Amino acid sequence: MEIADLITPAAVIPNLRATSKKQALQELARRAAELTGLHERAIFDVLLERERLGTTGVGNGIAIPHGKLANLGRLYGLFARLERSINFESIDEQPVDLIFLLLAPESAGADHLKALARVSRLLRDKSVCEKLRGTDNPDALYALLTESPASRAA
Amino acid sequence: MIEGMHAAILVLAGLVAASVFSSLLSFRIGAPLLLVFLAVGLAAGGGLGAGIVDAHTAYLVGSMSLALVLFDSGFHTSIRTFRLAALPALTLATLGVAVTAALVALPAHWLFHLDWVRALLLGAILSSTDAAAVFFLLRVGGITVRERVRSVLEVESGCNDPMAVFLTLALVGLSLRNGGRVEAELGVLRDLVFQFGIGAAGGVLGGLLIVLAVNRLAVERSLLPILVLSLALVLFAATALAGGSGFLAVYAAGLVAGNSRLAAPDTLRRFQDGVSWLAQIAMFLTLGLLAAPAEFPPVLPGALAVAGVLIFVARPLAVWLSLLPFRIGANEAAFVAWVGLRGAVSILLAILPMMLGAPGGRLYFDVAFLVVLASLALQGWTIRVVARWLGQIVPRRIGPVERMELEIPGARHELVAYRVVTDSLVARGHRPPRWAEPSLVVREGRSLLAHAAGPLRSGDMVWLFARPDRVPHLDRLFASAAPAAEADRRFFGDFPLDPAARMEDLGSVYGLPVPAGARGQTVAQYLDRALGGRAGVGDRIPLGEVELIVRALGRDESIAEIGLAAEPTRVDAPRLPLFSGGTRLKARLRRWLGRG
Repeated sequence: MEIADLITPAAVIPNLRATSKKQALQELARRAAELTGLHERAIFDVLLERERLGTTGVGNGIAIPHGKLANLGRLYGLFARLERSINFESIDEQPVDLIFLLLAPESAGADHLKALARVSRLLRDKSVCEKLRGTDNPDALYALLTESPASRAA
Repeated sequence: MIEGMHAAILVLAGLVAASVFSSLLSFRIGAPLLLVFLAVGLAAGGGLGAGIVDAHTAYLVGSMSLALVLFDSGFHTSIRTFRLAALPALTLATLGVAVTAALVALPAHWLFHLDWVRALLLGAILSSTDAAAVFFLLRVGGITVRERVRSVLEVESGCNDPMAVFLTLALVGLSLRNGGRVEAELGVLRDLVFQFGIGAAGGVLGGLLIVLAVNRLAVERSLLPILVLSLALVLFAATALAGGSGFLAVYAAGLVAGNSRLAAPDTLRRFQDGVSWLAQIAMFLTLGLLAAPAEFPPVLPGALAVAGVLIFVARPLAVWLSLLPFRIGANEAAFVAWVGLRGAVSILLAILPMMLGAPGGRLYFDVAFLVVLASLALQGWTIRVVARWLGQIVPRRIGPVERMELEIPGARHELVAYRVVTDSLVARGHRPPRWAEPSLVVREGRSLLAHAAGPLRSGDMVWLFARPDRVPHLDRLFASAAPAAEADRRFFGDFPLDPAARMEDLGSVYGLPVPAGARGQTVAQYLDRALGGRAGVGDRIPLGEVELIVRALGRDESIAEIGLAAEPTRVDAPRLPLFSGGTRLKARLRRWLGRG
């Protein structure tokens, strides 16, 4: 599973504007709805349901919200760099400024988890996060996400 | 006369001071501290000439010190730790000790041309792990070893000395009588039961009496720790005189006292820490002084071979056999095998044959001394690396915190004080939650009320009231920034899960095979059941493609934080093809029988 299989250049948002966790998720759901053709509200609800199990703010300023949806054709990733970091109820209390959204079809099963593992592995790499924070050029961000050393190694 | 006395004080105090100074060096180069103490004693013995200390004095100082150290180990072992580990640890402390002694006797028999009784005697001398060494190396040095394996090692090291002492004494007796009879051996078994029975019973009783004395008598507070330790030594001696194991008695008494409600527990704990250190220094110094390094070279090759067999064959086999009936992972067993540290106890036991006039007494001492040196150097030095390799270290979740806590009698809250460190979240403008409003801020020597102080600055001392269970949350705000390293997130899993989340919901979000019976449970309940009600931080249970990980325990030892790893973390995947557990062996055997 590669990041390039999950994400297209169009799914990279270089400066998302949000002031709260809820607003960020709403905004991401709206963008994801444009990409997937699904209903914005349905996506938002699925994300919220997942947050109820525990926050997806994994620490170090990173959040990886995710969920499963019926009627989704394939796995969809969406990356957003926040203009200003927000409180995401993260495990380490640190404000979040990088978000990778992952949506999987209901039938994805193990692929959903594989993709999730792949994304968390990528964003565990501190040098990658540093570089992602260092640019707001969408093409550069896309290149960083898909061509990180970790992805070549994997 | 008086000058001689002053010279003696100078030497003794100088040696203790030198040992303490050498601890600085030890922290710098990472050498096990006990090895350094032993080396100081050895150097002093070489410099001052042997003969300052005779075997009797050394044994007296050694047993008293060991009794104090064992009492303190018991005192610091929580009853939860003991319960977690009691069965495997006691098996290691009895069966394990016997197996080790028997296996070490083999090279001793051939290398030193000892007859079997004497070879077994050497084995018995080397058969127990050292409580001081194990405790010390597991606790100091800023590493946290996973609870399950730590408790096994700690309880084992506290309980196995009596067994080794017993075996040694029995074998010294046999070797003096020149060969054993069947009746003698039966007598030995009866003695064993007596020794342990009286030791354990006396210990529990003595512990209760100590608690009673501390809580009921209106003794001056500063005298309390002295009362406790002197009573512990009285108990040690009285039990031994009554025919029981004094070492077992003090360990049990420590366990009882340490887990009871005591007046002034902090005073006791601090004093005992100090005494425990002093006892260890005294013990190692004395044993070092007793040694005659000039005698070492001829026995060195043989001793190193014995050490090799002990470390690489006897201990692993004994551990594997003892742990077979228990649910203990291969990596955990491997770590237990590696932390078979020998220490002062073995050298102390090696004095016995010399003291009781058994033939060739000096040989035991020299060999034991060298084996202990080898064990402390090899195992002591590598314990951290090995623990990390075997996935037995719990990574630190947050950076260092400067915190003080004051319990307020009768209140649900406690008074907590934090020093604001430069790169902590609060120093960077993160506001503390409303329930943690500072009561007082001390800035540059001035006391300010919170609203007068405004935003917190680094260097401020903040006093606030908080519920004890919320202190970990506060720690994160006041800790210096140490973002979780990549390896730590791998260890704990990326995603935090709410312990109260339903297994049913978790299963449906990730498509996991949740067993029908567990659907209604919370994630915490499920984990607790799966771990047999004995969860420790870092314990993990695979579920389908994911792993559920215990991240933290609450004050009441329930599971307070849970992590989810989206892929198997492989932390518990066996690193060595050894130490297969009982269940896996059974499965393999069944497969093999089925085929045949």
